This record gives sequence, structure tokens and C-alpha cells, in this order.
Amino acid sequence: MNPRIIIANLVVKLLSFSREKTTMFFVIAFPIILILLFGTIFMSQDNVEYHLCVQDLDQTKSSKESINALEVNGNFKITMVHPSINATQYVRDNKVNLVLIIPKGFERSLIRRKFFNDLQASVTITYIYDPSSSSVSTKMDVLNGVLAGVNQELSGMPPFIKSVKKSILTKKYRFIEFFVPGIIAMAVMTLSLFSTVDSETELRQKGIIRKLSTTPITRTDWILSNILYQFTLGVICTIAMLLVSYAVFHVSLHISAWLPAFILLDVFAFVGIGMILTRFAREAQSAAAAANAVSLPMMFLSGSFFPIELMPGFLQKFAKTLPLFYVNEGLRAAMVFEDNMAALRDAAIIGVFAAVVFILGIIATKWEDDK
Amino acid sequence: MTKETEYAIEVDKLTKRYGDLLAVNDISFTVSKGEVFAFLGPNGAGKTTTVEVIETIRTPTSGKVTLLGMDVTKKKHDIVPRIGVLPQGFSSFDRITVRETIQYYSRLFCCMNADIDGLIDLVNLKDKAKEQYKNLSGGLKQRLGIAIALVNDPEVVFLDEPTTGLDPRARHEVWEVLLGLKEKGKTVFLTTHYMEEAELLADTVAIISKGKVIAMGSPGDLIERNANYLALTFKSVDGKVFEILRKMGFEPVLDNHKNVEVRVEHTYDVQKILNAIKDAGALYLGLDIRKPNLEEVFLKLTGEALRENPPEMEPK
Repeated sequence: MNPRIIIANLVVKLLSFSREKTTMFFVIAFPIILILLFGTIFMSQDNVEYHLCVQDLDQTKSSKESINALEVNGNFKITMVHPSINATQYVRDNKVNLVLIIPKGFERSLIRRKFFNDLQASVTITYIYDPSSSSVSTKMDVLNGVLAGVNQELSGMPPFIKSVKKSILTKKYRFIEFFVPGIIAMAVMTLSLFSTVDSETELRQKGIIRKLSTTPITRTDWILSNILYQFTLGVICTIAMLLVSYAVFHVSLHISAWLPAFILLDVFAFVGIGMILTRFAREAQSAAAAANAVSLPMMFLSGSFFPIELMPGFLQKFAKTLPLFYVNEGLRAAMVFEDNMAALRDAAIIGVFAAVVFILGIIATKWEDDK
Repeated sequence: MTKETEYAIEVDKLTKRYGDLLAVNDISFTVSKGEVFAFLGPNGAGKTTTVEVIETIRTPTSGKVTLLGMDVTKKKHDIVPRIGVLPQGFSSFDRITVRETIQYYSRLFCCMNADIDGLIDLVNLKDKAKEQYKNLSGGLKQRLGIAIALVNDPEVVFLDEPTTGLDPRARHEVWEVLLGLKEKGKTVFLTTHYMEEAELLADTVAIISKGKVIAMGSPGDLIERNANYLALTFKSVDGKVFEILRKMGFEPVLDNHKNVEVRVEHTYDVQKILNAIKDAGALYLGLDIRKPNLEEVFLKLTGEALRENPPEMEPK
């Protein structure tokens, strides 16, 4: 291993990169666009806060207090619908999926039940909803839960089983804070895999590898300089993504030594996979297709974009066989949950995987082409 | 330990197979220090395979190859810093400039004091020093390749088809650079399928065909040994010239432009033919007399080689 040679290679690769505008766009700008796009889309759904339209036909102090209780206990963002409006038409016209109607006489019935213990006194809350909406049933479940609590309170009997909500998070986090580590992991994977596959096949096809094999550079120097190059780009790319995330979404992420460690492990793993792929897919087009075949399932099934808990059971099991899953989990453990033990466990898993594929990659990389 | 020898390269019974394909078949030759050695042969003859074995890129199937007194299969790390290579179809990093490319390769050889400007001057690329590789013409790219091959001041320079695919002007530009190397006394191993290139530049030429070296010597020797005749071309002849030559026992060839070419072994035959034409009152517009070149030697030798091939190649 010769550090001078490794640095010389790194300089040439970085110079080439800085002069290749398209590559720069896909490496740096593309992940940022993803963050901006998905961040903006999901900002309104942060922390499962549902939008709820309420029509208060009673217009009393009690009905207003109940609506406030829904806002606090049900985690709803309330929009009031004027009593004179037809609620069904409102749902159609405003593309909302649910309007809750508090009937006239709500306060009167409540007083009768609460102060005169009139068990015949009741109110009927109406849900006007759009059944084609995928999230409306969840909203109604939450509403039912809140109303069950109210019923129990009014019955005067203290609950036998009480529940208390306690978040696994030390502070309130939003979707974007879960999303950014996933995009970092995905961007570094894409960068390492495609850059290795593209450059190895291109340099081989152009005969540059053959020329290099007549110089003192060794395969180890070459591969290590490639790792260093991908790591440098990974760090630049991550810094750019974090800066945009801080500036636009004011994210709250914990930055520690785990971040560069996971970037490095991500680079090692996917440079290794890239080297193995280029051993078998020798033409640029077939190598790119093979890289796509590896990266696409990783992107969508390993939890970069959304939690794997949303997937069917067998896909969740499959996700746990994907190396990117452990980079995602590790980065979230370090950056979101600040859980060093979980980060260490994920780092160990991806570290073993990276070591194996990297060694296989070195073995697979041949400079002499005795075909 | 390096053995001091008068030869830069010694190839002894080299054979290289790729599966069932016999690319190089039991060839032997030597290259003296300071000479320009041309390996001449058609595409697929085994030139590049041979040169890549000598350059330590490929391993021989059998035989022994010694470069600067060192076995190429055992001493790659000692050999590489002492040789310079322009591979066939040389290419480099698209977005790196001429100067940066030379600097990069000098760093690979750890030549921190390499004379980058001197190399740029040597290959006449001063005006293009800041140009990126992708913007260079074919000839300029080859000249950059030669500069890179010289970056470590090598004792032996390998140039694998340095002018293939270049237009005549670019080819001449590369030849000028190669003549400069010859003047500097470098040992140059040149593979080419351009006869005029070998004839112009080489001290020794080895002709390879179907993996076998079929002739070797200086261009003059090869011509003397294998094509010892004069070629006479009578231009725009009338019908009589062809008949006169045929009756004299020669084998004239008439082309579409009414030119007749005839080969004679002795100079006195020229006078005899001219006298016979004059006496017969035959007419022609011009006469070219020339000695054969390496191309004719090559055609003759490879033609003979084909005829000497095993019986299955013979028509039944």
C-alpha cells in the first residue's frame, strides 16, 4: 500500500468528479431534491396529527370544550365548519374525508346525564365520511377511542385498566427526522454502488485499467483510493443534505461519530458489491442493470423511505436480510433515538457484511484479463 | 538478482494459449539494448499477446521471457518502474488535462521530480497542456500516451500500435516523436501493422504471422533476403509491350489503367527489356523502377507460410 499513489488517485477522481456536472447533480442535488420533496409532502402529517373538520350545531360552552378535548386528546388539527353548511356537500366540495357533527342539544343532554344522572339522556355524534379515503378509518378509530373515554368518564366509574402514552423518543420528532437518515443511507449506497460499477467498467473498456497495470499501482491501492473517494463524496453529500434539512425543515438530529462510521461502512459494503458485480457483468450496460437490480429492492424495501412495519410480514423478514436496512436502522438509532447500543449492534452487522463482500470484491477484481 | 546482459529483452520458446486458441506458438527472439525493434504482423497475429507477456500484464503458458535480465513472471515489481508502456488503443481520464494526466502518472511512479514540461515539449503538446483529454484529437491522444510512457524515464519503451487509426498527418506527427526517442538511445519495442512505420523507425523487424515469428532482421536484410528483385512499371502501354515481355519469359501483369508491371531479378534484364521494346517500336508513356519494400516482403512471407501450412489447409 502506497499512500502517495492512493492520494494521486483520489485527486484525479475528485478532479474528474468536480468537472462532471451531471454526476455532481445526481450525487449531491438529487438526494437534496428527495428530502425537499418528501419533507414538504409529509410535513403536514408529522407525528400522526390528523386533520378533522367539525360542525358544531350546538354552539354552546360544553360543545366547544369537547372540541378542544378532541384537539388535545385525539391529536387532531380542527377545522370548524359553519353550522349553516351542508356537511355532506362540504366533504365533496372540499375533498376532506371526514366531518364530525355535534348535534344541537349536546349541552342539554350532557347536563341531564352529568348533574341529574338521567341515564336516558344521550347524544348522537355523526361522522360524515368518504369511504374511499385510506386514512378515514384510522381517524374514526381514534375518534371512537376518545369518545369511549368520555363515555366512561360520564358513567362515573373509575377505569380499572388505565393506559398512559409514553413515546420511545426523548423528545418530539417529526417525519423528516426519520426520513433524513434513510436518505443519507440510500444516497451513499447509490453513490458507492453505481460509481464503482460505472468507473470500473468504463476504465476497463477504455483500456485504462490495462495501462494502470503497467505502473506501480496495486489493486489494493486502487481499491483503497476508490473507498476514500466514495467516502469523501459520501461525506460531502451528507453535509449538503443535512445543511438543507436544517435550513428548510429545522430538523433536530444528533450528530456524532456514528454518522461518519456508518457512511464508511455503507461505502465499504456497496463498493464491495460493486466490485463483485463488475467481475461478472463486464459491459457497462449489463453492469448498470445489475446495479439497478441490487439497489432498487434496497431502496424500497429496506426502510429508507418508510418504516418496514408498513410492509407485509414476509417482506419485513426479507428487509432484514438487506444490508441497507442495518445502515438505516443504525443511522436512525444514532441520529434520532440516540441509542448507542442499537447503533453498535447495527454497525456490527453491517460491518461483518461489509468485510465479507469487500474481501470477495478484492478477490473478484482482476487486472489481468486472460480471456 | 538482475543479470547484466547485452539484451534488453530475451524471449525463449514463448507460448501463450487462451483455452483452445494458440495465440503465440513457441517463439524466440532477442532485442538489443538501445535498438528500435518492430514487431510486424496483421491483426490477430499474436503481437499484442507477446508484448503484454513481456510487459508483465499476462502470464505465459510456457517458455521464458527475460526483461532487463529479470524473469517477467517473477520480478514484476522490479520490472514495472523500469519500463514505459503505450498500450494498444490507449485512453485516459476524459476530464483530466494533459498536464494533470502526466502529473498523475508521474505520481504513480513516485517520480516527484519528473520533468513534466520537458515531456510536454517532447511530444509537442505545449499548446494543449491545459486541454482535457476528451477534447484532444486522436494524434494528440497518442502523443500524450507516449509522454506518459516516458514519465518514469524508462529503459525500455513498449509502443503497441501507436499510430493505428490515425490519419496520415497524425501518424507522421507520432513518427517524429518516435524518431526523437530513437535519437535518445531508448530501447523501443514497437508493434505495428504498418510496414512503412517499421521500415522508417526500426533497426530490427520481426514478422509474426499466426503466432509464429517467420522472419527477423533489419528492414534492408529482410528485403534483400526475401524480395531480391526490381519492379518495373510501364505506364499506358500499347498492346505490344505486354506481348514482348511475355515472349521474353517474364510474367507481366496488366492493370486496368494499361500499366504493365514486371519483376526482374537482375539489373541487366532491365536493359534487355528496354532494348527489346525499342526494337519492336512499342510505345509507353512512362517507366517506374523501384526496389521492393517491406510490405512486399511481408506478403511474400505470409503467402509462403500459408502454403507451408499443414495439409488440411491445402485444397483437396
